[in-house]
Amino acid sequence: MERRYPRIRFQKKLDALKEEVDEMGQATLKAYREAFSTFIDYDAKLVNSVMEANRKVHEMGYQIEHDAMSIIAAEQPVAGDLRFIETSIKVSSHLKRIAGLASNIADIASHLKDEEIPEKPMFDLQRMADIVDGMVSKSLAAFLAKNMNVARELHRDDDKVDDLFDHALKDITKSMFQDKESISYLIYLLFLARFLERIADRAENIGDRTIFMITCEKQQFTIEKKPEE
Amino acid sequence: MEYRIEVENLNVHFDELHILKDVSLKIPKNAVTSLIGPSGCGKSTFIRTLNRMNDMISTFKMDGTVLLDGKDIYDPKVDVVDLRKKVGMVFQKPNPFPKSIFDNVAYGLRVHGINDKDILEQKVEESLKSAALWDEVKNILDKSAMGLSGGQQQRLCIARTIAVEPEVILMDEPCSALDPISTTKIEDLIHKLKNDFTIIIVTHNMQQATRVSKHTAFFLHGEIVESGLTEKIFIEPEDKRTEDYITGRFG
Repeated sequence: MERRYPRIRFQKKLDALKEEVDEMGQATLKAYREAFSTFIDYDAKLVNSVMEANRKVHEMGYQIEHDAMSIIAAEQPVAGDLRFIETSIKVSSHLKRIAGLASNIADIASHLKDEEIPEKPMFDLQRMADIVDGMVSKSLAAFLAKNMNVARELHRDDDKVDDLFDHALKDITKSMFQDKESISYLIYLLFLARFLERIADRAENIGDRTIFMITCEKQQFTIEKKPEE
Repeated sequence: MEYRIEVENLNVHFDELHILKDVSLKIPKNAVTSLIGPSGCGKSTFIRTLNRMNDMISTFKMDGTVLLDGKDIYDPKVDVVDLRKKVGMVFQKPNPFPKSIFDNVAYGLRVHGINDKDILEQKVEESLKSAALWDEVKNILDKSAMGLSGGQQQRLCIARTIAVEPEVILMDEPCSALDPISTTKIEDLIHKLKNDFTIIIVTHNMQQATRVSKHTAFFLHGEIVESGLTEKIFIEPEDKRTEDYITGRFG
C-alpha cells in the first residue's frame, strides 16, 4: 500500500472552484426560469431581476477564470485535475452565454406583453422551454457529478428541441401569412424560439465538455440541420 | 520508430531485495525519455543498469536482457569501459574533477587514447559549445572547474560526457541541485542535444518531464506502471496509480 499524501489545500481549491461553478449554474438557471416566466406572465420586476442576474453571472464567470488561473499558476495541475479546471473555465463561459440569452428572452417579453400569442406556436415554445430547462439542469448536474450518462442524454434532448424549433418556425411563419399586421410582434416569437434553441445548444456543449473532461473523447462536430423544405 | 535501447524482463536484486521486477521498456533513438516515480521505486537502479554501473555493487544480481543497438550489453565479451563511452552519465550533483576546466572535458578523451594537443583543443571547444558553456569559460579554460557556479559545473559535466561522443546520455536528476535559471539552461541544452543523442532523464519534477521529454515511464515499487507519450501520461493517464502520483495524491 502506498502512503497517501493528499494535497489538502489543493483539493480544497478544486472543491471551491466546483462550488463556484455550481453557484453560477444555479444563478443562470434561475435567470432562465424568470425570463421565460415573465414571457408567459409579464412582470417588470422579473425583467429587472433577469438583467441583474445576467450582470452577476458575468462577474462570477470572470471570478472563476481568475481562480482557475491562480490554481494553475500555484499548483501546476495535471491529468484529471487539469482537465477539470480547463472544463470549469469552458462551462462558465457557456453559462455566461446562457444568462445572456435569458436576458434577451426577458427583453422580448417586454415587446410581447400586450400581444395575443397564437396557440400553436405557443404550445411548441412552452414544450421547448420545458426541455431546455431540464437540459440546463442536467448539463450542470452532469458536470458537477462527472456523470457520463446524463451528459450523453443531452444529445437526445437537443434533437427534440431542434424538432420543436422547426415546428415553431413553420407555425409562426404561417401565422405571419395569415395576419400580416401581426408580423411586427411575431418576429419576436421567432427570436424567442431561436434563443431557446441556442440555450439548448449551450447545454449540450456543457455535456460534451463534461464527456471530454472524463474521457478525453471528442464529440463529433455536426453541422446544424437545415429546416426541411 | 527506431529504438536505441530495448530492455526486456529485467529483474534486479540486491541480496534478497527485489528492486526491479520484470521491467520491459524501449527507449526511442534521438529523443528524450523521462523516468518518473516516487523515491525508492527503482528509477536510478534502472538507469544504472543501462551502463553497468551496478556491476560495482557486490550484492547486485540481474536477469533479463538489455540491448543497446540490438546487442546485449551484459554479454561477457562486452568491454565495460567501451560501453560507458557509448552510454554516458550525468549525476544529480555536479561532480567536476578538481582539475582545470580544459582537463575536465579532455579527461575522457585522454582515457580513450587521444593525446594530440590540436585534436584535444578542438574537441574541448566543440563539447563546451554543445553544452552552451563555451562563451562563459573560453577565457578561463586553465582555471579550476571548482570555481564555477553549480549550473556551470553541471553544464561542464555534460560537456565532459558528450566529449567522448556517446550514443546515450543518462541523467539522474540533473537539475535538482540547481536554481531555476540554471535549470532552464540545462533544459534548453537537453532540447538541443536530443538531435544527436538519446537521452534518458530521471526527474522528480513533473513539469520538467512535460517540458523536456517526448516519452515518459512511470515506475512504482520496481515495476513500470505505465509508459508512453509524455503528453498522454500527463493529460490522460490510463492507470489510476499514475494519475494519483502525478496529481500528488501519494508519494
